[in-house]
Amino acid sequence: MNDLKVIDETSQFIVVSLGQEQYGIDIRFVENIVRMQHITRVPKMPAYLKGVINLRGEVIPIMNLRLKMGLPDVEETKKTRIIIIKMEQCGSIGLIVDEVKEVVTLDMEAEVEKMAFDKDDRNNYVSGVGKHGDGLISLLDLNAVTAEK
Amino acid sequence: MDVSQYLEIFLDETTEHLQNLNTQILTLEQEPENMDTINEIFRAAHSLKGMAGTMGYKRMQTLTHDMENVFSEVRNGNIKVKASMIDVLFQCLDALEEYTANIRESGDEGTNDNEVIINLLNDQLKGKEEASKEAAKAQTAEKEAPASDNGSGDRRKWLQIKLGSTETMVINEALKQGLKVYGATVYVQETCLLKAARAFLVFKAIEEVGEVIVSSPSAQDIEDERFGFDFSVIVISEHPVEKLKAAIENVSEIAEAVTEPIDLSQMKTEGEAKTAPKEEKKETTQVVATPAPAAQAPAPSDKNKTGVKPAGAKPVVNRTVRVDIEKLDVLMNLVSELIIAKNSLVVASEARLQGDPGSQSNVNEQIEYLESVTTNLHESVMKVRMVPIESVVNKFPRMIRDLSKKLDKKMELYMSGEETELDRTVVDEIGDPLMHLLRNAADHGLESAEVRAERGKPEVGSIWLEAYQDGNNVVIEVRDDGNGIDAEKIKNKAIARGTITEEQAANMSEKEIIDLLFLPSFSTADKVTDVSGRGVGLDVVKSKIEALSGEVEVKTVLGVGSTWIIRLPLTLAIIQALMVEVGGEKYAISLGSVQTIEDVSPDEIKLVQNKEVIHLRGSVIPIVRLHKELDIESTKSPEDNLIVLIAKKGDRMAGIVVDELLGQQEIVIKSMGKYIDNKCKLISGATILGDGEVALILDANVLI
Repeated sequence: MNDLKVIDETSQFIVVSLGQEQYGIDIRFVENIVRMQHITRVPKMPAYLKGVINLRGEVIPIMNLRLKMGLPDVEETKKTRIIIIKMEQCGSIGLIVDEVKEVVTLDMEAEVEKMAFDKDDRNNYVSGVGKHGDGLISLLDLNAVTAEK
Repeated sequence: MDVSQYLEIFLDETTEHLQNLNTQILTLEQEPENMDTINEIFRAAHSLKGMAGTMGYKRMQTLTHDMENVFSEVRNGNIKVKASMIDVLFQCLDALEEYTANIRESGDEGTNDNEVIINLLNDQLKGKEEASKEAAKAQTAEKEAPASDNGSGDRRKWLQIKLGSTETMVINEALKQGLKVYGATVYVQETCLLKAARAFLVFKAIEEVGEVIVSSPSAQDIEDERFGFDFSVIVISEHPVEKLKAAIENVSEIAEAVTEPIDLSQMKTEGEAKTAPKEEKKETTQVVATPAPAAQAPAPSDKNKTGVKPAGAKPVVNRTVRVDIEKLDVLMNLVSELIIAKNSLVVASEARLQGDPGSQSNVNEQIEYLESVTTNLHESVMKVRMVPIESVVNKFPRMIRDLSKKLDKKMELYMSGEETELDRTVVDEIGDPLMHLLRNAADHGLESAEVRAERGKPEVGSIWLEAYQDGNNVVIEVRDDGNGIDAEKIKNKAIARGTITEEQAANMSEKEIIDLLFLPSFSTADKVTDVSGRGVGLDVVKSKIEALSGEVEVKTVLGVGSTWIIRLPLTLAIIQALMVEVGGEKYAISLGSVQTIEDVSPDEIKLVQNKEVIHLRGSVIPIVRLHKELDIESTKSPEDNLIVLIAKKGDRMAGIVVDELLGQQEIVIKSMGKYIDNKCKLISGATILGDGEVALILDANVLI
């Protein structure tokens, strides 16, 4: 019984870095992590939508997470990765991140502070902040990230 | 019994049977004496009844049962086929289609009892009785005989029920358990038209408070309406007698229910009933039969109700394609060839790595082989998805017949090319647009009989529906010999509605004016009828067909008739494309939309109204610089010759300027994912190239 409870209260996050900050992406939505590859540009799209890639025969749209979150764009490096997430309402989407660090398990009760940002804030993509070791991890609200605003 | 796994088969077959019935009844209308047709209809109705019964769709079963009755009389020569009967039969088919549609949507047949239709069917049967009164009289006399026998004084007719040993046992058992056993005689009002249906409702009501052990007449007879105006049952229940009585009398058109707790000693048991051993035997078998259907009937419907809810609006049934087993065999063969090709390629490439001379040519050979296998595979898979348009167009003769009656115009539909095959998805979608066009032809197109006579046309108007394959397209034409389209009338209407100004109208060609018909909410019918004139037709037709990557155009001659031409691509998933490069990016353009490719020097480009055009073989064609449309820099300098693809859509042409031509290629159309799809109008999809990169597919139609 106790074991079950533990599973209930903890969640696993993939920790990625965007500039100095660390962000956590709920592992339940992550389908795949791939290296940076050639992205085919799609015209007439917002700047943060970089285009599409071919992932094993499927065409998947790619979003630059930095641009979506209003951070300055940077040159891609060897560490740049695309995290493919799958959401119910918009299918598979790839998110470009600077670096993938690790997978952490956070106790949702003890280690995570829910954020009560203004819901109408157009640039709020964080649902909470987790404490891990010395650092803080902003937990991405994937629904907000993929929603069309 | 769980029948949900058979639901798909049931729906498939029901649809087939209904279609068959439609066609056969149409034939019957033409040839009322055709015995083959009558037999065929009888068989179809019978299968339908059986299937509906098995699946527990009682209403559907009742209706088909009555239809079958009528046909069995027709088959025996007792009644003749009349026009009124055909009408009723078509109504039945419509009702059955409604049931089927309900089942497809929700798994439940719905609650429409269609009593009106059942009554009409019974009227048809009565018609027979009037025709052969004597036979009928004899029958009714027979029917009433036992009733009058039983009806001697005591209204508690259930006392007459003879109990078999099983029933006696069941009753004793029930009494031991403290349950109560009642006898009940139900009197139906003499004005009641649907005694069987009422009886069914009574049985249902009783089942809510107790359990029917035995009934007189038997359940089967009651269901078939073989009883007078009363029937009796013996019921086990835990409720007081009043509750049973109330439950029964709650059913409408029930005159009275005589109910009383049973005293076994009053009842005739097996020993006493020796006088009628035959009947008693029948009843004992009945006991087994009665509870069975009663218990089964509610089960599937309950199950469906609960089973459907979570599914929400989703239809319960997946769409299926029936595939010829031969086609599957071919597929299987091709897949095995594919594996062989792969293995040979592995061997050949290993040989090349070891530096075997001549191995390169071997690899090339294998690649060619692989290519031919994949081409065949593609073709076969497409063939599996192809279905003849027959399944859609088959319902049209019936529709035209109904329209003919409704509009009071004589018309005939001639169809050809029903065997033309199209992709299943296209066939599913094409029905509505075609129906619109046919209705239009019948309502707007064909003139009234007087006008036709005046113009020296045959009294019966003709509508043609023709389908044929034309290269990579399938063409469907809807043609009529009616009035044609009056461009003047459309022009006036458009000006009156403010769709166009008078100056615009003056500059428009006849063709452009007729194309106004495809605008939303544009109807030229002077009065709105049931059939058309609401202006929600042609724009829907157009958008639907365009959604299928097809096109529709109309040719018309005033006074002679009009032709609507629908062009549809044979397949949707794989197309021949022209690969081009613009600003270093690769794009695919469907080869079908490219007419010619021209090499144009920059000084040939002229400006008309500040727009770039070229003059080509007598026509002036506007130029679209693709790199500007795609927000990218061209890699070519302004002095270089331009590569111009001439694309055509209907009568309009455009020259699309690209940087490089890369060649022709067969491409597989992929969706770009929900996030991007349809966000950029220019791009109709994406494809994956040989090197694994994604190339976007341009929709040339948007550029023109």
